[in-house]
Amino acid sequence: MGEHHLRIEPAGAPRATILIVPPLFEEANRTRHTLVLAMRALAARGFSAVMPDLPGQNESLVALEDVDLAGWQAALAEAAAIIDGPLLVASVRGGCLIDHSIKAAGWWRLAPVGGSSLLRTLLRARASADREAGVTSALESLTETAKSEPLLLAGNRLSPAMIAQLGDAEAQPVEPLRSVALGAGGITGTPLWLRAEPGEDAAMAQAIAADIANWSASCGAI
Amino acid sequence: MTDTPANSVDATLRALLADILGLGDARAAALTEDSGLFGELPEFDSMAVATVLTEMEDRLGIIIDDDEIDGEIFETYGNLLAFSLRKVTD
Repeated sequence: MGEHHLRIEPAGAPRATILIVPPLFEEANRTRHTLVLAMRALAARGFSAVMPDLPGQNESLVALEDVDLAGWQAALAEAAAIIDGPLLVASVRGGCLIDHSIKAAGWWRLAPVGGSSLLRTLLRARASADREAGVTSALESLTETAKSEPLLLAGNRLSPAMIAQLGDAEAQPVEPLRSVALGAGGITGTPLWLRAEPGEDAAMAQAIAADIANWSASCGAI
Repeated sequence: MTDTPANSVDATLRALLADILGLGDARAAALTEDSGLFGELPEFDSMAVATVLTEMEDRLGIIIDDDEIDGEIFETYGNLLAFSLRKVTD
């Protein structure tokens, strides 16, 4: 897709490639360090781990307001198509909304979130910042404006298409799938994607890598 | 502490603030009614306010109409707790 990606290789020939689909917008920054630690831990277990930049995010030259969820889905499918050997997808939070067009042997999802919840938080951040600046902006009027022009939400200039698609987006069924939450029976760790200040959780990164490795061995996908 | 609805809302709210503001268990447990939030804790910016509202909806099973939100709710922990209790029992 012409975007940068971060790739961490194991010492020998990889067992499979894990394509990491990060959370969206600010949540991607808050989790990146821990996800990269998880990629290192996957490489130590013999996997190749790849995390692509989504168009309009990180080092991308594309303007964010020129992309939408459909474009992100296509870009991920394109990035996956050039990867040799068995491929598993590991997506986190909003990443789970755009991972289903990828041709993969299996999907692993951590704490999937509905697009409407992400959008509501972004709209509220805008309303809250406006309130601080002495401007009253109701969610309804912001939503109405977003139908015809790009809207600046918490530093992200989002197109009408992006906002409309985000409002309706749910994680789509894929097979085989392991969907895990934080807590008992899932991944022990902290919801870093909510954190106001960037943090890291090295133990959680290890738990993510271990869960993906165990699942890849048991699901028969690779 | 007995498990009354008020206690469970209090515990949910402290855990949520700990997660979002990265307070750690000790600082979250030490919050009192008078503890200042918005304007007092540097981590509590407009994005954090938005995240707190959405997480309150998810974890407390409530819907918050944004007309109900004014600056006072986030002034102190006591105000936020009182608002949450009112929403949960509504």
